[in-house]
Amino acid sequence: MRRIIFTLLSIIICFILQTTVFRALDFSGIVPNLMIILTSSYSFMRGDKSGIFIGMFCGLLCDIFFGTYLGFYALIYIYIGFIVGKFNKIFFPENILLPLALIVSSDLLFGFICYVLLFMFRNKFDIGYYIVNVIFPEAVYTALVAVFIYPVLIKINTYLEGVEQRSAKKFV
Amino acid sequence: MSPIIKRGGDKFTLPSKYLLFILTILCIGLIAITFNTSVFNSSVNSFAGTVVVPFQKGITTVGVWMKGTADNLASIRALQKENDELRTQVEELTIENTNLEQDKYELTKLRELYELDAQYSDYKKIGARIIAKDAGNWYHSFVIDKGSDEGVEVDMNVIAGGGLVGRITDVGPDWAKVQTIIADNSSVSATVLSASENLIATGDLELYNEGQIAFSKLVDEADKVNVGDKVVTSNISDKYLPGILIGYISTIEEDSNNLTKSGKITPVVQFEYMNEVLVIMKLKNTGE
Repeated sequence: MRRIIFTLLSIIICFILQTTVFRALDFSGIVPNLMIILTSSYSFMRGDKSGIFIGMFCGLLCDIFFGTYLGFYALIYIYIGFIVGKFNKIFFPENILLPLALIVSSDLLFGFICYVLLFMFRNKFDIGYYIVNVIFPEAVYTALVAVFIYPVLIKINTYLEGVEQRSAKKFV
Repeated sequence: MSPIIKRGGDKFTLPSKYLLFILTILCIGLIAITFNTSVFNSSVNSFAGTVVVPFQKGITTVGVWMKGTADNLASIRALQKENDELRTQVEELTIENTNLEQDKYELTKLRELYELDAQYSDYKKIGARIIAKDAGNWYHSFVIDKGSDEGVEVDMNVIAGGGLVGRITDVGPDWAKVQTIIADNSSVSATVLSASENLIATGDLELYNEGQIAFSKLVDEADKVNVGDKVVTSNISDKYLPGILIGYISTIEEDSNNLTKSGKITPVVQFEYMNEVLVIMKLKNTGE
């Protein structure tokens, strides 16, 4: 229960930051994708099932505010959460390079899917432009922000696990 | 045989691939439902209004206040200098104003003659503050802090600084989503004022960094349209009120079919530096 509350709270805080604070700190109109950071890191830390639910919540938030159809971003985030969650078997809290690589590659994947579904289907075939000007800068900026956010998420996770283990011991 | 539901102890657990499958179906269902109807709009929008929007409002207010304070300190000196310049300008403008008033009198007379009194300066407007901008980098929409409680409705036009910003595409109790004309998925039917020729102005992500929007389907056989001509919303648009300034033509090219022309428009609104917008509280009457 504590875990669910913490997760929901962190998602909502990040969404608000992304739409307000980071919009003011953008580099040539590009903002980092905090939702991808959250989905990837949580599902990397907790496995694919949590990844699916967290991805769905992140995606639905984006859909409600900025999506044309409810469920579009949710679908993409669910799959990203599921795929990244498969890497949970090789999760160690000390390692930061692997999660960063996962976050960047899932952001690249997200950008590519968005390009294909939102732009290529409308006869906009200049993929080079979109990669250089949107997908790539977003991934770099996201990685930069993830360097600061991921350790915080790891701390929250270890704290929660500690609390859960203690309460589990009480029952034994 | 793989069991669909594994029994772990005394509680049921569902393997993640089946969960994924179920949620995929759910999402596709949601997309299909929202594509065709708008059943979820009111409930989902009021949820967002109670959970997220208050925080966005708070943060934006604080941010604007802090930026304002910093700007104030930096600009006092500049303001004193500007004040002197403005005083001289006021004198010039007073003279000019007298001339213009005479012109205006003439204009009113002529307008009465043409019955063109529904200029957009006469429409009722309310001011709204931008509280959040698009979470992604693909489209350019934003959220304002006025909603259906103040009478804002879907498809109302939004202006800022004398030019068209976009239209409202979604409304909650105390927030509304605005789709801008520079967004890649928006098109506006517009008219070139000097030649009264219609064109379609389309937002384009590839032109966004240049601060321009594309136009196409301009029929101009007599070559009357020039660079620098004013472009306003047209009478035949079913979402936008007529006569709202969009921008000025910056380039024109002949299309390969030799019938139509396309090119670029520089919008009058500075989309990067927008904080407040005006919502025109009048819907276009399409006669339906």
